[in-house]
Amino acid sequence: MVSKTEETQLSNLETQVDNGGGGAWEYLSLVRKLKVRRSDRVLKHGLSILNDPKKRSSLGPDEWTLYEQVAVAAMDCQSLDVAKDCIKVLQKKFPESKRVGRLEGMLLEAKGAWAEAEKAYSSLLEDNPLDQVIHKRRVAMSKAQGNVSVAIEWLNKYLEIFMADHDAWRELAEIYVSLQMYKQAAFCYEELILSQPMVPLFHLAYADKTKKPLLGNLFSTVLKLLTCYDSNLSTKWRTSYANEL
Amino acid sequence: MGGESKYEIAQNAYMKIVLHALKHKSSAVNAVLLGRVSPTNDVVEITDSVPLFHSHLGLLPQLEISLILIEEHYAAKGVNIVGYFHANERFDDYELSGVAKNVGDHIYRYFPQAAILLLDNKKLEALPKGKDRSPVMQLYTRDSSKNWKLAGGEGSSQLTIKEPAANAVLLDYISTEKWQDVVDFDDHLDDISKDWLNPELFK
Repeated sequence: MVSKTEETQLSNLETQVDNGGGGAWEYLSLVRKLKVRRSDRVLKHGLSILNDPKKRSSLGPDEWTLYEQVAVAAMDCQSLDVAKDCIKVLQKKFPESKRVGRLEGMLLEAKGAWAEAEKAYSSLLEDNPLDQVIHKRRVAMSKAQGNVSVAIEWLNKYLEIFMADHDAWRELAEIYVSLQMYKQAAFCYEELILSQPMVPLFHLAYADKTKKPLLGNLFSTVLKLLTCYDSNLSTKWRTSYANEL
Repeated sequence: MGGESKYEIAQNAYMKIVLHALKHKSSAVNAVLLGRVSPTNDVVEITDSVPLFHSHLGLLPQLEISLILIEEHYAAKGVNIVGYFHANERFDDYELSGVAKNVGDHIYRYFPQAAILLLDNKKLEALPKGKDRSPVMQLYTRDSSKNWKLAGGEGSSQLTIKEPAANAVLLDYISTEKWQDVVDFDDHLDDISKDWLNPELFK
């Protein structure tokens, strides 16, 4: 979830870098910080830094973070050779590293070698059973293969251990909505609201999921609650609220 | 209503929804198709389209609001809702989701020749390579047993694009990343200054 100011800052940097105005490293750091998905640009600008030995050495220890970021972006853009090269460099520098092992697993995923990726992740999990990212990669893999029910199962198991992972709850809710299992989706948002009652987005999303003819009252109650404590409510919800009245 | 209806989609309507799908590559998107039945030859002409959402497609409140606004705007021009377009999240997913079927059924109640168009990702990927003039989507129509059936096989002419060079123009727009300018209902609801009619898109 990105705020409006961060969104404007990001798009300003994006236009600046795209038009050759420099600031590529700031852009890449911002993308990393906000965890947004801008793989084609990350790949382009990241490679331009990495392929230039002067710029690369000026990064210092951040060079390796950039290699990791570019590797993931390359996999997203299906530039698997670029990804492989980045991972090789990281392997040389950090042999026996779990983080690099994760990247190798992701590369197998990107190639579509599901069974091998699954094996790689299982062996990594044996050494480190509480690695959140790998658990989530397994969910992502089943989702990518179209096994939505398996994805739901894995995600539920993950959330039993890591109950505070908000992104995971939101992902589960979205999967339920795509399957039209609204009650279960509403439950996910209930969990989120309980842990973070001050985030209006969760209330709004919850209201959305409970909107059914029978529960119309619940919807307007939730919206009333929101208009009370956030007067900057966007038009979307004012219209919805007006509709309900 | 014997026989199979023919559908003809206008170039701008066609390009708008494909560009919208390309703007949001990692999520499912949908759009509503507007048009009329041609009085001369009973072909359903899809003259325009409005891209709807790129997140939480299955939720009712925003769908309701968007359909109300769209219908109101286009009814004044004598154009009605004739179909629905859906693009699945995954590349190899050719299944018509529950959401698509539900919206399709709803449109069918008001317009019996309603169509559902599903984006064909493999065809879209192959577009730059071949000289295919057929639309990069699959057509589904409702048969007598109330199911949505895929129309025709390869080379079926049930769905055609009005302007034969549409794919070439589309490729051009794709290479210039025109999809950045497409505004859908989701964007409009977040910022009402953005116009979901996309009036300047193809000027």
